[in-house]
Amino acid sequence: MIDLEPDEEQVEIAALARSIADELVAPSARDAEYAAAVPDDVWLKVFETGLVMPVAEEHGGGGVPGPLALLAIAENLGHGDPGIASAALWHAHAALLVGAHGTAEQRSALTRLATDPGARSAVALYEGFGRGPAELATSVAVEGDQVRVRGRKVGVPFAASADPLVVVGTDPATGAVRAVVLPHGTAGVTVVANPGSLALDATQLGAVDLDVTVPVSALLGGPDADPAGLLATVQRLRLLTASTAVGTALRAVEYAGQYATGRIAFGRPIASYQGVSFPLAEAMMRIEAARAELVDVTNAVVADPGGDHGTAVGQAVSYALAVAVQATRDGVQTLGGHGFIKDHPVELWYRSAATLSALDFDPLRDPFQARL
Amino acid sequence: MSYSFTLSRPLQDYARTLREWSTTECRPYARQADEQKGRPENWREILDTAPIPLGRADKPELGQVPTFEDGDWITKLAFYEAINYGDVWVHPTLGGGIGDLVVKALGTPKQVAEWYDPIQQRGGATAFALTEPGFGSDTSMVATTAVRDNDSWVVNGSKMYCTGGAFAEYVVVFATVDKELGARGINAFVVPRGTPGFNVVKENEDKLGIRSWTTSLLEFDDCAIPLENRLGWDVDHPENSVGNGYGGALGALAFNRPNMAALAIGLAQASIDVVTPILKGQQAGFTPQRWSAVERDLEAMNATLERGRRINYLAQVTVDRGRPSRSLAAAAKGFAPETAERVIRRCIELLGPEGVSKELLLEKWYRDSKIMDIFEGSGQVQRIIVGRTLVGGLAG
Ligand SMILES: Cc1cc2nc3c(=O)[nH]c(=O)nc-3n(C[C@H](O)[C@H](O)[C@H](O)COP(=O)(O)OP(=O)(O)OC[C@H]3O[C@@H](n4cnc5c(N)ncnc54)[C@H](O)[C@@H]3O)c2cc1C
Repeated sequence: MIDLEPDEEQVEIAALARSIADELVAPSARDAEYAAAVPDDVWLKVFETGLVMPVAEEHGGGGVPGPLALLAIAENLGHGDPGIASAALWHAHAALLVGAHGTAEQRSALTRLATDPGARSAVALYEGFGRGPAELATSVAVEGDQVRVRGRKVGVPFAASADPLVVVGTDPATGAVRAVVLPHGTAGVTVVANPGSLALDATQLGAVDLDVTVPVSALLGGPDADPAGLLATVQRLRLLTASTAVGTALRAVEYAGQYATGRIAFGRPIASYQGVSFPLAEAMMRIEAARAELVDVTNAVVADPGGDHGTAVGQAVSYALAVAVQATRDGVQTLGGHGFIKDHPVELWYRSAATLSALDFDPLRDPFQARL
Repeated sequence: MSYSFTLSRPLQDYARTLREWSTTECRPYARQADEQKGRPENWREILDTAPIPLGRADKPELGQVPTFEDGDWITKLAFYEAINYGDVWVHPTLGGGIGDLVVKALGTPKQVAEWYDPIQQRGGATAFALTEPGFGSDTSMVATTAVRDNDSWVVNGSKMYCTGGAFAEYVVVFATVDKELGARGINAFVVPRGTPGFNVVKENEDKLGIRSWTTSLLEFDDCAIPLENRLGWDVDHPENSVGNGYGGALGALAFNRPNMAALAIGLAQASIDVVTPILKGQQAGFTPQRWSAVERDLEAMNATLERGRRINYLAQVTVDRGRPSRSLAAAAKGFAPETAERVIRRCIELLGPEGVSKELLLEKWYRDSKIMDIFEGSGQVQRIIVGRTLVGGLAG
């Protein structure tokens, strides 16, 4: 049955995330960018809300929000600032994976993540080449009581410091998705120096080369982990990142709309020109469509973790990111020359959305269209 | 050959040499220019390595850009694309600017001889100050005033986003002599650098891109200039005056629009040419279907840049023939810049997360390209101009 009423948890969590985003995250966006790190006090306060550390109470956390509540957190924090939001959420992704699929021993290590605001963890997922999680080339091969991990990961948050770094790959013997939990400093993890990126500096993105041999106990969920369940959660991580971009897109459109009502040209507020209001309206329409798709596909993944959701997730992610890229672009355009200088945040959103879209891009889903 | 979009061999050769030079000698300084928000200190030595004349303001003896049978404005298109293909920092170091174009469009013969001809002969930096904090697109909103006080015009007001404003030898400032007259009261004044009351409030804005370009905030505080510095106005022989020039100023700008489109094409072509070999080297990492999609994207992007070049040629041939089309110039500027943004972004996406790294220049060119669809008439404004050829003043 169709039921478009979010439940109480979803509503409350979304509202809390939005208020944190407005009061704390948005005002710190530039500081986080210049410092290439989330300022400690901001991190601490976001951390204390419990929104971004989805860890069960038995491991010292505040509980794991439901899948749609998580989507709402991602969107609303992304509405505040995509850089700080991504830093916090990508740290949370590791806890989400370990909490859902880890062995008892792995899960007990979550206590540190749940209680130490200084901790930074990450999931090394993306490889470029348009690869979805079922096609990852990073191999996680079980060899007796050891596991060997080889490959190259790109767009890895906290690449140089993540502890643990959860690496997602595939088992060359079965083709199934596997992950390993690597403590910081594991031999064979080589961080490729990154001089910085177009945006999202606070997430400290980098590439990581892996040639690691660790005991099988490092395998997420152990040798008998359920690959289908793991794949489903990994797909949800992609949807969460796309949701962050949707939040940023919405903020850009709201900001631009607000500006357009006050800026006068040719005797009228520029909002009264269709050349200004239509691109923003297009963005609003598509943001609604993108958010609905993320919710729908998340539900499908949760309802049937064993199902094949690759196409649906790929479509949802690709669409949401393309919408965010265009909406943030139109945000800059709406402000004209003023959108091009750092006195306004639209340029930051423009860079951030493009960065997110490069992370999870598949040329098969979104062919380059020459404008007619 | 009639009806051909092929440039003459000599111009092709010149452009290729310029492009190769800007790539090998200038591009290595692109990151530094972006970070330092200015040209590299050794820019003169870098320019000295050019195997062809560039039309340098600081060393006119090295020669101007040659004349080609294709026409001066077509030559400019090839020049803008080729020099910016290396990186955007190079071009402004040659001097230039657009203030002199306004002098040419609006000035009396005497004014043209004084302020335009020398710049053409020896080069030199000039600036154009129309935009103010309160307006950009709607140029009828000029709030800066020029009031006659015996033998001088006294200018008051502030000008924003003036390219090269902080160091140009003169700035062409738009001010109203009588607010009651509306647009007809707006005039252009040549204000030389160093005139008392001409203050540089902020030398350079903190920008998304083209950070090495100087984008100045200027203030005119009881800035007195000679009467003869009002363009188009002959103080001794008013009958020789050529008009206030408000429309003319925009007309002068219109010719420069396709140059900005060519600049955007240069950046986009550079991006495609940087990613293509990298992607080819990584071909094994793609599935065959995805590799086909990558090749198709590269092909589509190259084809669309060619479309942008052709519209540019269509527009500038009309200028070279003395019958400039504002509509074609607007079409050219409306087409390529937005397309270039999308091309550069796609180049980044095809590389994945490594495409956004500062290791490469793609992220910089993506930032640089965005302004091309905003300044010198935004994309929307270009569409209004094109629309007017179809439906007249109703478009807007
Ligand atoms: C790096 C840089 C360099 C520059 N160099 C110079 C320079 O050298 N000299 C100079 O004088 N100026 C310069 N400019 C200013 C530039 O030309 C203006 O920013 C531009 O004209 C847009 O004006 P605006 O920023 O005030 O935007 P606005 O005019 O406020 O426009 C805001 C938005 O409204 C849209 N809009 C406005 N009217 C309409 C309409 N009727 N229908 C549909 N949409 C509409 C615009 O397209 C834009 O998207 C520069 C700007 C920058 C950022």
